[in-house]
Amino acid sequence: MSTSLEMSRRDFLKASGLAAGGLVLAFQLPLVVRQARGAAQSGKPTLNAFLTLDSAGQVTFFSPFIEGGQGVYTALPQIIAEELDVDFESIRVEQAPAGDAYRIMFDGTQRFTGGSMSVRSSYMAMRRAGAAARQMLLQAAADQWQVSIDELDTEPGRVVHASSERSIGYGELAEAAGALAPPANPALKDPSRFRYIGKPVSRKDSAAKANGSAEFGIDVRLPNMAYAAVKQSPVLGGEVASTDEAAIADRPGVISVERLPGAVAVIADTYWHAQSALDALPIEFENAAAAGLNSEQLMKEMRARVDEAGKTAESLGDIESSFNDAARSIEAVYQVPFLAHATMEPMNATADVTAERCEAWVPNQGVDPVVQQIADITGLTADKITVHTPYVGGFYGRRFITDYGQQAVRLSKAAGRPVQVIWSREQDTQHDYFRPTMTVKHRAAIDSQGKISGWHITVVGDGPFTRLMPQFIQDGLDSSALEGATEQPYAIPNRRVDWIGHSYPVKIGFWRSVGHSYNGYVTESFIDEMAAATETDPLEFRRQLLNDAPRYLKALDNVADMAGYQPGVQQENGQRIAYGIALHRSFGSIVGEVAKVSITEGQPRVHKVWCAVDCGSMVNPDTIEAQIQSGISTGLSQALLEEITIENGEVVQKNFDTYRFLPPNQMPEIAVQIIESGAEMGGIGEVGTPPIAAAVANAVFTLTGQRIRRLPMSRYDLTSSA
Amino acid sequence: MTTLTVNGTRHTLDIEPDTPLLWVLRDQLNLTGTKYGCGIAQCGACTVHVGGQAMRACVTPLSAVQDQEVTTIEGLSDDGLSHPLQVAWREIDVPQCGYCQPGQIMAAAALLASNPSPNEGDIASSMNNLCRCGAYVRIRQAIVNAASTQSQNQSQNQGPGETS
Repeated sequence: MSTSLEMSRRDFLKASGLAAGGLVLAFQLPLVVRQARGAAQSGKPTLNAFLTLDSAGQVTFFSPFIEGGQGVYTALPQIIAEELDVDFESIRVEQAPAGDAYRIMFDGTQRFTGGSMSVRSSYMAMRRAGAAARQMLLQAAADQWQVSIDELDTEPGRVVHASSERSIGYGELAEAAGALAPPANPALKDPSRFRYIGKPVSRKDSAAKANGSAEFGIDVRLPNMAYAAVKQSPVLGGEVASTDEAAIADRPGVISVERLPGAVAVIADTYWHAQSALDALPIEFENAAAAGLNSEQLMKEMRARVDEAGKTAESLGDIESSFNDAARSIEAVYQVPFLAHATMEPMNATADVTAERCEAWVPNQGVDPVVQQIADITGLTADKITVHTPYVGGFYGRRFITDYGQQAVRLSKAAGRPVQVIWSREQDTQHDYFRPTMTVKHRAAIDSQGKISGWHITVVGDGPFTRLMPQFIQDGLDSSALEGATEQPYAIPNRRVDWIGHSYPVKIGFWRSVGHSYNGYVTESFIDEMAAATETDPLEFRRQLLNDAPRYLKALDNVADMAGYQPGVQQENGQRIAYGIALHRSFGSIVGEVAKVSITEGQPRVHKVWCAVDCGSMVNPDTIEAQIQSGISTGLSQALLEEITIENGEVVQKNFDTYRFLPPNQMPEIAVQIIESGAEMGGIGEVGTPPIAAAVANAVFTLTGQRIRRLPMSRYDLTSSA
Repeated sequence: MTTLTVNGTRHTLDIEPDTPLLWVLRDQLNLTGTKYGCGIAQCGACTVHVGGQAMRACVTPLSAVQDQEVTTIEGLSDDGLSHPLQVAWREIDVPQCGYCQPGQIMAAAALLASNPSPNEGDIASSMNNLCRCGAYVRIRQAIVNAASTQSQNQSQNQGPGETS
């Protein structure tokens, strides 16, 4: 008997609308699709593309999103367990393969892990998937017992018929249920009866990650597999001119030297043999796109453009009149550097290419483009290509771009055997797709009553959409660079946000919280500048402008209460401390943060951070706390330490000794409060990051009178002003 | 030839003696729990125990561990679950991406072996492994919890009838 579903029609379920990038799109879930390879090819009864059930009652959930620490392998099974009515512990999670069935975002057209979208974009789809599967099991039992489905109920893992005191395990119904057509509109559980959603369920991946058995891409081991090390042009964007392969001919274990686009690879029997031979291989590069480029000069050029007329992204009231009529005005230019992702697991991929097929393990944030890239390189059709996504050792936006995956495929094809390519940390750092350096000018008009009457923001730089996803550029505006400058909640009557695109030959990409990563810092620092200019306490200043924004006001008030916020310099244990505050909306969530800061040895010391996050509603408060702490650590890291500089086209920082990010002894305690306002579910993974740099910078101003208008703060010596 | 013991198993290896222990473990002995992060002893993802001491395997040449006892994350406990740190790690769900966690746990295990009741300052001064997810708050908490569990276990084990 066939255990796969034969559908005569695609069955779509409408789920909730969802807003992204200013667009409101309905999205639909193709609940069962013939091509649902993960579930259908498992040989087990398939309830829908996301779920299989075997005769022993084992439920396997195929996740359309990768697990890279954000907890989606826990949150999604929580939702499934809730609606399917099984014990959470009984669900096994696997990564869903490529294919149409798993494109559940943006009207069934997209599948990626990013934008803090996984749980919020799939919440209703996952509930319906679980509920539909449960209803199929109920129907199978009704058919078997010849009773009405209305007489049946479930308890975890079983269908029960109370009146006859019969019950049957889900596993025994698996085959019959798998042969049924899935219902289009399954009844969903009443949220008042939730036992998993909204509760702190334990992560599914903790045990494997605490004993070394969790398999990352770099841990893949295949029979006859060789290892490759790669070197790309130190001056960015260069091509390979020549190599002297004879120089390494006698090195142990070396199999071959291969040329790749913009890179040379050595393939050897072990990674160490490959890397050490590559280090000894003379290579000349030429035609570097970034020859002569200096990041400091680039930042000067961008700064010189802040008063040009930009392209207006957002406009409210009459900004020109507000400045013409102003009693006075203030302005400030802020700058942030390039940043690296510095994922702990360096870029790597493994591929096994033959004439007939390709199997590849490519850590990624979107598997479908990886399949396409492999098809382009190999000439194979998509049905001959299998891409696995193991646990990912950090992604933060870096693994949208799978240049390393393409290298592994080319190298396996050339070597005729499985090849794992590993980027050394030096390659990983230098050849990242950096968070772009940005220059942002803010100016504010102050009227004769001392009120802020105008607020003008000009953002100068280049954005990841411009480079990587030009289909999202509308009217010449890069919303990925402008987000967080636009859509401000503050009731300032005249406002404008302008964009000045400034291009340069350095690769840039998406970095945790993208445009918000700097706009959160800059806008909330300048809000403090406005407060100071109008001699108002920073908390009170914000409160006065948020009367019509109750969610913002609540996040602000709650975090101030949690922290015991006090204006001005405080004395604590003989130490001068100050509380800095910031508030920022990103990815659908509103986040207030307070940092308690002192100046120690000329640098800010962050003693504690408080955070109130309004994410509308939630699935797992424990992973939310962890993600907020994580997001704050990233934001604090860029505030205090991180910077990529480029001299003569070459990245100066090559490893963790010079590309410094937050070490444990600079990580403060962080208290998190989740506000379930009932608004549409917001994102979590990135939302902790944007406000913290401003919260710290604002405290530094209170302590020292020094405005921090350039990051990282390690550039400043705050000793004399403390 | 280099002879060493890894997780209780003796190995004799014909590998260039300057090969970092990290790559011997990962590529030759297939012990992939020990991770490559930086190769310059900055991040600690490769932390293992050599003779009970925490060492960064990425800068430890094979020749330096001749006749030594090496313990990796795979050998920290018999079942991969029962070391007090592994219990504590699971209980409060420390890992996020998880890549640095074997190194974090091995560093913490060496700390607890030498200092069964570390205070906040002890933890701060000895735990300098990097975590890009910033799971540091829970790492600290789990070490404190594990130390507490370990001391309770020891006091139980030292009860009447257990010791001579």
